Amino acid sequence: MLAMIKRNLLLYFRDRSGVFFSLLGALISFILYLVFLKQNMLTSWQRVPHAKLLLDTWLIGGTLSITGITTTLTSLSLMVNDKEKHVTADLELTDAGPFRLFTSYLCSATIIGTLMQAVMLIIMWGNFYLTDGVTLGSSTVGKVLGLMVISSLLATMVNAVIISGVHAVNTLNKLGTIVGTAAGFLVGTYMPIGILPTFAQDLVKFVPGSYVAALYRQYLMAGNLKTAFAGNWIARTHFEQLMGVRLNWSTLLTHPETYRIMGLILIGATALAFGPVWVRLHRQHQSIQER
Amino acid sequence: MLLETKHLTKRFGNKIAVNALDLRITRGSFTALLGPNGAGKSTTMNMLIGLSRPTAGTIIYDHHAKLGVVFQGSVLDNCLTVRENLQIRADQYHHVPADRVATLSQQLGLTNFMQQRYGTLSGGQKRRVDIARALLNDPDVLFLDEPTTGLDIQTRHAIWTLIQRLQRDRQLTVILTTHYLDEADNADHVVVIDHGCVLAQGTAAEIKIRYAADILTVTTPDVAQLIAQVALQPTHQTRSQVTFRLATMQAALDILTMNRPLISNFEFRPGTLDDAFLALTGKEMR
Repeated sequence: MLAMIKRNLLLYFRDRSGVFFSLLGALISFILYLVFLKQNMLTSWQRVPHAKLLLDTWLIGGTLSITGITTTLTSLSLMVNDKEKHVTADLELTDAGPFRLFTSYLCSATIIGTLMQAVMLIIMWGNFYLTDGVTLGSSTVGKVLGLMVISSLLATMVNAVIISGVHAVNTLNKLGTIVGTAAGFLVGTYMPIGILPTFAQDLVKFVPGSYVAALYRQYLMAGNLKTAFAGNWIARTHFEQLMGVRLNWSTLLTHPETYRIMGLILIGATALAFGPVWVRLHRQHQSIQER
Repeated sequence: MLLETKHLTKRFGNKIAVNALDLRITRGSFTALLGPNGAGKSTTMNMLIGLSRPTAGTIIYDHHAKLGVVFQGSVLDNCLTVRENLQIRADQYHHVPADRVATLSQQLGLTNFMQQRYGTLSGGQKRRVDIARALLNDPDVLFLDEPTTGLDIQTRHAIWTLIQRLQRDRQLTVILTTHYLDEADNADHVVVIDHGCVLAQGTAAEIKIRYAADILTVTTPDVAQLIAQVALQPTHQTRSQVTFRLATMQAALDILTMNRPLISNFEFRPGTLDDAFLALTGKEMR
């Protein structure tokens, strides 16, 4: 399995232009924010202290979540590519078996998703440090790095379920374009979830990436939220709900609740992703006899 | 018997790709599955290597036969070097010795381009690497699905010599599909398949004797008289030549000796595997 993971990583990182465009896809929301949205949003939040820092870290959270989704999807496209070119047939002849092969694709996608999120964090943080003086404490960075792993694992599983019905690379590329475009809205990165119509808000809550984005924001914005809304709970809650720092089910979700929901999504997606492989494995057995 | 199939059948919807195929492959033999495009060769092979499940029938291997497969298209990664490709595949087997890749690259003459990316190799080099990959687990049976399609004649010969050498040196059982008849000519056992059925099987020589007519072309100043004197219908005639298809060489001798004064020249060609193949599968294009 390690050999397969090594192969998948080599194939991903050796395709330099592929890596570049994968990153660019994630950078787009960041660039759009800088060019079109930042000034506008700052104007509407000018009464909030540290508005700049809050908005910068808010954006980092959303963008990291998108990065997790798009880069793991790109990485999983190797699985579809292998199927289409009959590489899978060759790989299944080895002692590895379909189960371990599938797991190796998921592992490499998770590793790639984590690394790419880390790169994005460095780019964005670096930029905001230079322009707005954004700083992050070491414990925050630690928590964020941990969340990156969970975020890519979740995105990988959900994407694996989505692409289980895709058998052609061509179809997958189109799907990638749709996901890349929609992700920014669906996890509430381009626009704060609070200003969306009710239906759209409900839709956002169905997207696993939204919970990841919320958790990122809780970690990244914690310090600034505390100083900005010192003691003013009503204003803080309003802000958190509006900006998708905490998602609203009947009440605003707490930090552990958000994690629990993500855990459930992860378990569900894992079952759905592995289910078909398991079924196929059991059906394919015993068509060849040995004396 | 290394491999045996009984009534092996594969249906795709209403279409029967392989129809009650009975095969017997002995250890160390060289079998060619010969057939036109769409005859069911690759479908048969996919079932034999366990990639697709038969609709009916059984496949029985002698205990724990290890399989090696060279697929029709390339299944190695263009962006990786030859060494990386082979080593990664080798690592996916449980009992492959550490020096296996080095040994195989020596034996198959890959050492000069081990560091080169697979995608940059020539067609013949790629095929040699594909064969090396198929031999990583030291298989008992080597399956090759149209291994020389698209290669030039020199490369085809080289690949062919290599496969024969492997069969001889390692006592390897080789099963290959092809539509090149000269390749099948070298096999111990030829199985002619069409529409999923076995049309004929045996050695190339047996099949030729049974299904390929000998061709006698006679040049004569008097075509009409020659035709009148021979009981057989000619298959083709021009103003000075008559062509007969004959079951045996003896029949040709009879025609030649009996009509000696009428003959100014003749050409005799024994039936080839091509003739047998066309006689068995028809001239229609697929």
